[in-house]
Parts: sequence; structure tokens; C-alpha cells
Amino acid sequence: MSIGIQLGMIHSELEEIVGRDYVSVKEADKLVYSVDWFWLPQMWLDRGQKLQTPDFIVHPSTVEEISEILKIANNYKIPVIPWGGGSGSQGGAVPVYGGIILDVKRLNKIIDIDEKSLTVTAQAGINGTQLEWAVNEKNLTLPHYPASANCATLGGYLAPRGSGTISTKYGKAEDLVLGMEIVLPTGKIIRTPKIPQHAAGPDFYHLFLGSEGTLGVITEATMQLDYLPEVRLFRAVLFDDLSKGLEAGRRLMVQRLEPTVIRLYDKKSTLSQVKKVLGYEFDGAYMVIGFDGDKDIAALQEKKAMAICKSLDAKDLGREPGESWWQHRYDFYYPPKGLHFPWMYGTTETVATFSNIEKIYYAQKEAVETTYKDWNVDYIGHFSHWFHWGTMIYSRFIIKEPPQDATEALQLHNRVWNTAMTAVLENGGMVNEHHGVGLKLSRFMRRQYGEAWGMLENIKDALDPNGIMNPGKVGFGGVK
Amino acid sequence: MKLENVAATLESCRFCLMCRHVDPVSHVTFNEALTPHGIALTATSQKRGLFEWNEESVHVIYSDVDGGNARAHCVTGKPFSEAVATIKAELAAKGFAPQSVYDVHDKLLKFHSPYGEDRLETGKQKSDIALFVSDEAHYLWPSSIDASLKLLKALGHKPVFVGRGRSNGFLASSLGFPELAEEQARGVLEEIQNANAKQVVTLSVGDTFALTQLYPERLGVSLPTNLQVKDLLSLLANALAKKKVSFKLSKDKSLYAYIDPTHAVRVPVRFDAPRTLLKTVLSGEAEELFWRRERAHPVGTTAVQFTNPELAEKLTRARLEDAVQTGVNKLYCEDPATLYHLSKYTKEYGLEVKGLYEFLASQLVKG
Repeated sequence: MSIGIQLGMIHSELEEIVGRDYVSVKEADKLVYSVDWFWLPQMWLDRGQKLQTPDFIVHPSTVEEISEILKIANNYKIPVIPWGGGSGSQGGAVPVYGGIILDVKRLNKIIDIDEKSLTVTAQAGINGTQLEWAVNEKNLTLPHYPASANCATLGGYLAPRGSGTISTKYGKAEDLVLGMEIVLPTGKIIRTPKIPQHAAGPDFYHLFLGSEGTLGVITEATMQLDYLPEVRLFRAVLFDDLSKGLEAGRRLMVQRLEPTVIRLYDKKSTLSQVKKVLGYEFDGAYMVIGFDGDKDIAALQEKKAMAICKSLDAKDLGREPGESWWQHRYDFYYPPKGLHFPWMYGTTETVATFSNIEKIYYAQKEAVETTYKDWNVDYIGHFSHWFHWGTMIYSRFIIKEPPQDATEALQLHNRVWNTAMTAVLENGGMVNEHHGVGLKLSRFMRRQYGEAWGMLENIKDALDPNGIMNPGKVGFGGVK
Repeated sequence: MKLENVAATLESCRFCLMCRHVDPVSHVTFNEALTPHGIALTATSQKRGLFEWNEESVHVIYSDVDGGNARAHCVTGKPFSEAVATIKAELAAKGFAPQSVYDVHDKLLKFHSPYGEDRLETGKQKSDIALFVSDEAHYLWPSSIDASLKLLKALGHKPVFVGRGRSNGFLASSLGFPELAEEQARGVLEEIQNANAKQVVTLSVGDTFALTQLYPERLGVSLPTNLQVKDLLSLLANALAKKKVSFKLSKDKSLYAYIDPTHAVRVPVRFDAPRTLLKTVLSGEAEELFWRRERAHPVGTTAVQFTNPELAEKLTRARLEDAVQTGVNKLYCEDPATLYHLSKYTKEYGLEVKGLYEFLASQLVKG
């Protein structure tokens, strides 16, 4: 059978399931669905190069339709790439092998808001900000505020284990999920219990968090909500030394002061990013600290936090530079304030224990700055999602005059990533904290997990015997 | 708009996804290609030689509803609407636009409107105050004209009509005919000046947007310095606050909602006026729709009603579905074009849509 006939057969079967209006083979649509927020495919288009496009873009409206689509894909052994908002920065939604883009945005209903248990159950294609507006009408909030909320979907929050700006208090997206509905690669629809803490065997739902569509399609989730806080207090301080800032953050966490936000910028970030977006010229490491909830408790927490900072020689910058950061927290990602073409850039972020984090920062900084000195590389970073045992570095490299040739640019880009991730892996860090793995970090997964990686591969084989689900991502191979 | 600014805007928007939450077209089509990001990526990729303009790619550009929500929510103030209008102008000039675009162009040229063929004569009466009765009010919802005259009379005004039956220029601009749009804008302003009006009252947000933003910013047509543009609902709300006008309370106790019309997000200062007026005259409880105020979506009144009627219908139905979800059965709106489009389908949803001017006029307390 020729490829043309086979694609024609698949096309007609997909139309049978979702209707003609919801299957696209238009070249104009394929172009837009060939690229997500990963620098590499964007660069490829920027340089006028054609990308691998999907064969079909399908917009199912029910979980049953998704199940049927996956059965067809298995039958023809054609890749399926789940697509939410397309805002992932790791190439997780890029159709590197063509196939079916499964855009889940028609699954956008809120099924239930439980005002007693403070939970919301919604379909996975719902837009993040729209979901937030809906729960806000009941004085509630889903305390996951990623910079991508305006475009990302609920499923996109969970699939790569995202973090939002207030994760330090409320947890990552994975900490907020109680249960999910998932369509397995074979088309089987399963539901996990909506009770996350129990002793009824292993927590298999965690397997799907971070799977980025390689083990199934998340179609619904029940999420923990909170009341909208009575107050949100922000304050900024300045450290003359990054180490002292890191120590202040550590003490805030291990003393369980429950900060909503701790964001510590290194000196270079303070001088570049903070100045560019917020307009402040501070010489030092700028830190924003926030508390929220009951006004008396938040005020007390802030008072204790300021005492810790003062004991480490921090200069109190007052409320305004803290509140301004909160108001403009997403502006860092809007053009032209964010990083943009023709620059080459990447967020080589990582997470590690307090014992290792500073070591990783300096190891990565030195490795990147030394190795790519001839490219005048900039290395900047901030520490933004904190845990009781450690924190993450949101580190970035920027090369303002990269090679014009697309292939040369790709090779340089990957070399910088290799350097940055080697520094992470050699010093006890994880290759990623919240952006996910996607295509970008796929090659580091075996190194990250060692022998344990084989177990994950076995699970992938068991769940997705034909390898149709998002091939080439999260370290897994292509279609079999 | 200068070409270098167009390029810079589209280059910025092509990989920016930050207005998706308020993008009306992708909310009803679910298609990434029809978002501001998709439109910008399509246009910039064509410039890079990745494809030629063809029916499919032109369809992407002409499915744009003029990007009012994207513009209103862009943190860095990128003039996306203006950039897309410029791309459309390029397509229209090269003959690549859909036939419907040229058909509307011909009607605008011949009759000043795509909605009718009256081509009304310019009035000769003079007054300090003019009422801008554009083609949408004249052809699509004419009962709003008498009602608005009664309301203005209650405020002590006796306006002259200007622009009666004329497009305000928005449509021509949004279809890619900037010269025609400019000509239409100058035609409207000429009528206002011929009437010696110092104040022009508008009946729709679209007309307010056209006079105060589209003309000076996109078309380069400045308003006379002594001319004030006031929308009728704001005038009424101010007069009510100063007790210069009063209304009877209706006995209707139905749950109701105000539906923010097309272009509402472009003139946010007037969000409160209709709500205040409705609260004064209705004893029923007011509900707010989900897609309201800053997030209000257009109905199918923009250029897509000609270039993509299916999309226009979807946009209109989406607003009615929002009302159904909210649980109201009565909607109020003042905008003639929005009323016209909504009323095509309201019965299917068990809804009633009422003209706000007509309702307010019926509740006026004389004297």
C-alpha cells in the first residue's frame, strides 16, 4: 500500500470519529503545529528552514474520541502527539516523526467545583487562565501560576510536572493533583482515585506526571484549590553576596516560614533582567520574598523573614520593588522584554539539595562561560522554586550573535546544553525542575537515571507496545 | 503603519502566546493557526519563503477579527491589529484576498456600506451636537435611532444626524483597504464639520473606537481639536448620577445580563455605564457573563461576517452559549450590530435580547 493511500485511509477514519471540521491537513495549520516554544524549531523557522510537520491535526471533543483515535494510530503505527497550549519550551509537542497532532483544547469543560473539599475537576484542555477566572468567581484559586498560564492547558500543567510562581508554598502542579483520567496508548480509559494520600498500594498516577504524553493522554484532572488569600505581601531585599541570599532562602524554608515566593537573582540577572523589566538598578543579588493568606499570620511570617535577612546583612528595599515584581512577573517572558531572536538562548535549569545547589551554580556558570567565551556567552540565573530540602536554579545562557547557518546554530546550541547538563549531573542535580524533558533533554535521561532507566523503558514498552505516543521524547525511542 | 513596524510587531507576535486566554477565534475554532501567534507565524514564514500565499494561508489572515482583544491584553502594547490590517492590505492589493473582500469593497465604494444601497444625502441642518448614525444602526437595528433621539431629547439635546447609513471606516480598514477607510473616515468627519457640531454622540463602542482610535492611530486622520466624542450610554449614566434624567423601575424581575458588545475591550472606560443604567431600571437580579468587560469577545460583526461567515456564526453562538451557561434568559445590549447578530439565534437558545436604548427610552420619566 502506498503512503498516500495509507494516509488517505487514516484521514477518512479520523473524520469518521471527530467529523470533517475537526481534522485538518491544511499546510497553513501544519506549519503552526510544527513548532512549540523550544528555541531549536523556532530557530529553524526563523532561518527559513522547513520543519517536519504533522500529517494530521485532530481536535477531539470527548475522551471516547481520543480512545478511538489511539486505536487507529496503533493499527497504522502512526505517531500521536498530544497538544495542549503548545507553550512547552522543551520541544515536547514537536512532531519530529510526523503523525497525528492530538489537540485536546475542545476538552475544556469544568466538571465540578467542590466548595467544601476545595477541589476542581476539569477537562485537561481547559486554558489555565480561564480555569483560574472560573474558580476566582467562587473566591477560590488554583495556586499554580506559571508564566505560561495564559496559553497553557491543565493537562499541560501536569504532563511536564510544571511549577508556578507560588510553588514554594503551594507546591508544583503534581502536588496539587488529586486524581486523573487518562487514555492509555492502547485506547483504554482509566481513572485514578481522587484521593492522593492512602496506603492502597503504589501511587501509579505519578507515573503519568512527567510522562509528557509518552505514556498516555491526560484528559481530566481533579486539582486542589485554596481560598483567595486575604493578603499578599511582597518585599525586596538586596544581598551583596549570592551565598548569603541562598542561606537566607534556606533558613526561610527549613524554619518552615511558608513563603509564597522566594526569588533570588544573581548579580548579573539583577543588572540585566531586573533592570530591563522592572527598571531598578541594584548592585547585588536582588531577592523578592512574599507571604500570603491571613493578614496577621502573613505579617508575622514577613517579620521573621526580614529578621533572617537582616542577620545576613541584607538591605531592606521595602515593599515597592517586591510588589512591582509581582505585578510584572510575567513580563519577563513577553517580547521584547524576554529573550528573543536573533539571539541563541536556553534555560539550563536544575534542582538540587541545599548542600549541592551553590556548587552546581558555579560549576555550570564556569563551564558555560569558559567553554563558550569566544561566543561572548552570557550566563545569568535566579533561584525561584524552593523546597524544604533544596532549591532550583533558573539558569540561562544567551549568545547574542550565534551562527547564521541553521545547522551550525543547532550544533552550537546542543554543545552548550551538553556542557551545562554535564555540570548538573556531575554535581548531584537533576536535568530539569519544571520545564520537562521533551526533545531537548531526551539524550540525558539514561545518564540521569542509570540502571533505573531500564525500568522506565520496560514500563513504556508495556503501556505503549507500538511506541506511538509522542515518539522521541522523554528519552524514549521512536515508533516501533 | 510603517512597514518596519509591521515587521517588528509580527516578529514579536509569531512566538508569543500570551494573549491566547482572550483570543476569541481560537476559543471557537480551537485552531492554533488562527490565534495571533498563528497569524503572525504564517505571515512571517511567508516572508521567509516557506510558502506562497494561497487560499489556505490567506484564509488564516482573513479569519482575524481585527485583534482587538490581543491588542488590549498585550503587556508590551504591540499593535497587532494594525500589523494584520497592513498584511491584509498587501494581500488585497495583490489580488490575493478572497472574492468576498472585493465584493464588500465595491459596496463600500458605491453605497458607503455593505448592508444596504440607500446612499443617503448629507443633511444640511446645523447643531452643536451631532448623532453619528452609522450604517450598522441605520440598516441593522434602526429602532435604536428613534430611541436614542428620545433619550437625547430627555437630556435637553436636539442633535443632527451625521454619517447616516455610512460605514465608519473600520470594515474597509479591517479588510485591507486603508485608502478607502481613510476616505470614509474623512467623509464622516466632513459631515460632522458641515453640521458645525462640537460634540458627536456615538451609538456603539465600534463607532467610538473608530473616531477616537482607528482614525488617528491607524488611518492617520486627526479629529478637529474642538470636537468631543461622547457615547450615549456614558452621557446617560452621567446625567443619571447628576439627577438630570430619571427612569421608571420596570416590574420585570427576570434574571438578566448585559452583554458587552463587539469592540468593548477597546473602550474599557465605558464598562460601568450600561450596568449602572440597567440596575436603575430593572428590579431583577443582574448576572455577569463569563466573557465580560476586559475579556469580552466580539460576536460575528467584524469583517469575518463576510470573509468567514461560519466563524462569524460560531462567535455569535459562543456569546449566547455563555449566557445559557450563566443561567440568564434576558440579555441587554445597545450596539446595533451586536444586537442584529445575536438576534439571529436567540430563539434557538430560549433567550431574549433587547435593545438597551429602546428599553431605556420606554422607561424615561417625562419632565
